[in-house]
Amino acid sequence: MKVVTGVVGNDIHVVANRLIDISLEERGFEVFNLGVNTYLEEFMDAVIETDADVLLISSLNGEAEGWCRDLQILKSQYDFKNVTFMIGGNLGVGEMDPEQLVPKFQSYGFDLVFHQVDLNVGLDSLEAFLEAR
Amino acid sequence: MSKLYIDIGSTYFKVSQKGNIEQYFRNFDKNILDDLNSKCSTIVNQYSKEDIHICSSANGGLSTLIVGLTNSFSLKYAINIAFNSGINIIDTVLYSKLESEPVPLEVIDVVIVVGGIDSVEKVFDEKLLNYLEKVNYQNITYVGSAKNRDFLIQNLENIVVLENIISDKLQIQEEALKHYLTDLYQSDIVGKEDIKQLYEITSNQIYSTPYIVNRSLPKINERLDVANPFIVVDIGGATTDIHYSRDLVNDNILTENGYDRLVFKKLGVYKSRESLVHTAKNNEFVFELLEYLNVTENILEEESTKATKTLMQLAIFLVLYKVSKHHGQYVELNLDILNSIVLTGGITKVLTQEEVEDIVLFFYKKILQFHHAPTTLLDSNYEIWTYGI
Repeated sequence: MKVVTGVVGNDIHVVANRLIDISLEERGFEVFNLGVNTYLEEFMDAVIETDADVLLISSLNGEAEGWCRDLQILKSQYDFKNVTFMIGGNLGVGEMDPEQLVPKFQSYGFDLVFHQVDLNVGLDSLEAFLEAR
Repeated sequence: MSKLYIDIGSTYFKVSQKGNIEQYFRNFDKNILDDLNSKCSTIVNQYSKEDIHICSSANGGLSTLIVGLTNSFSLKYAINIAFNSGINIIDTVLYSKLESEPVPLEVIDVVIVVGGIDSVEKVFDEKLLNYLEKVNYQNITYVGSAKNRDFLIQNLENIVVLENIISDKLQIQEEALKHYLTDLYQSDIVGKEDIKQLYEITSNQIYSTPYIVNRSLPKINERLDVANPFIVVDIGGATTDIHYSRDLVNDNILTENGYDRLVFKKLGVYKSRESLVHTAKNNEFVFELLEYLNVTENILEEESTKATKTLMQLAIFLVLYKVSKHHGQYVELNLDILNSIVLTGGITKVLTQEEVEDIVLFFYKKILQFHHAPTTLLDSNYEIWTYGI
């Protein structure tokens, strides 16, 4: 399965990005890593060019809330019905209520949302989600 | 035996031998070869056909239509390769919007179709064929996913299939398309009577001048006093080219050359004068700039040396403005870290070093709020092209 991944917006957390890349490869995914400082449009375009099954966006500086709010608009411009949209990391700035964050990102159009959750737990959930699908 | 280099421009031709460059105004009553022979046959006759190298920007170049799958990869990569191959006129269509886009009315020299990494199937379908049926083109090439090749070969006569410009890691692969476009440019100019005759004096391929300038960039700081990162701005009669170091760009393209080219096809001082004036009048800072230059708006309508100088200065300002962060265009250069600006082309015959420095400093102070500006260098001898030929 193909996964497009990278860090969204003005976020340069490259170590976390590399760990996600390695972990995904270890689990047998074909990874297209766009690296840090990636815009939402580039993620979507990479999914189209590679015909990826999963888009996994990470964010650590908490700005994903701003950078990802146009996801639904971009999703409506192309046929992404077989693509799983996932986001994880530190998704809020300051003291956020995780119970509010997850539904917010789901309303943006993400199928799977992980706020301050261990990477392997998140990837286990992704695999389970793909299997069920 | 040394070599003789000749550059055929739209207003001058330049002849370089043993590091010495001579320039001659074109006489448009004669064809290029006769004009060349009348002015420097003694020099030309000293060299064998193998030792004469020619580049030309005099015959316009190819028009291109690119059909691509996405803006961030296929279209972006194809535009980048086309500009670096010396092509000036580029139109693009996003495949998902193909049905709603108007079909170009003019004849297109080459259509480039691109999209998908090699493993992706069914990228293009009947929709592409229906669109292309309405386009009047002379050549077509496919540089997309390998799994779509058979469909396109079966349905599009004379399509030239090349290596995918998008690698399996989503990186740019430019060589195959670059060679194809450069060869196409050559066959195009060979077909033009004026250029065809030049093969009487050379046995080497005649290249497009922008392609040669792009090739010379890695050698510039060995020969001229410029510091990386730098840009080369070629302001000519019809278009303005900007060649820039990739250190100035923050995007996903990694090319081997390290330098790219961008063309502003409507920013010229003679043939595109009207559109230059139009662009200037629509720029919010231009009136302040005119005041700074101690002239009024009326200068834009005048035909005088002073007016030409002012237009050249405006062109420098507008080019910098268009690639700055204040103007979200195809390319945004990080001008904050720019160390040198090299100016070449007709502009070096019109403006002095001080006049150029003046305008660059105005841009840096006014737009970027800097107190200093990069160093500027005028290629007054017009020798940069000789490094790459």
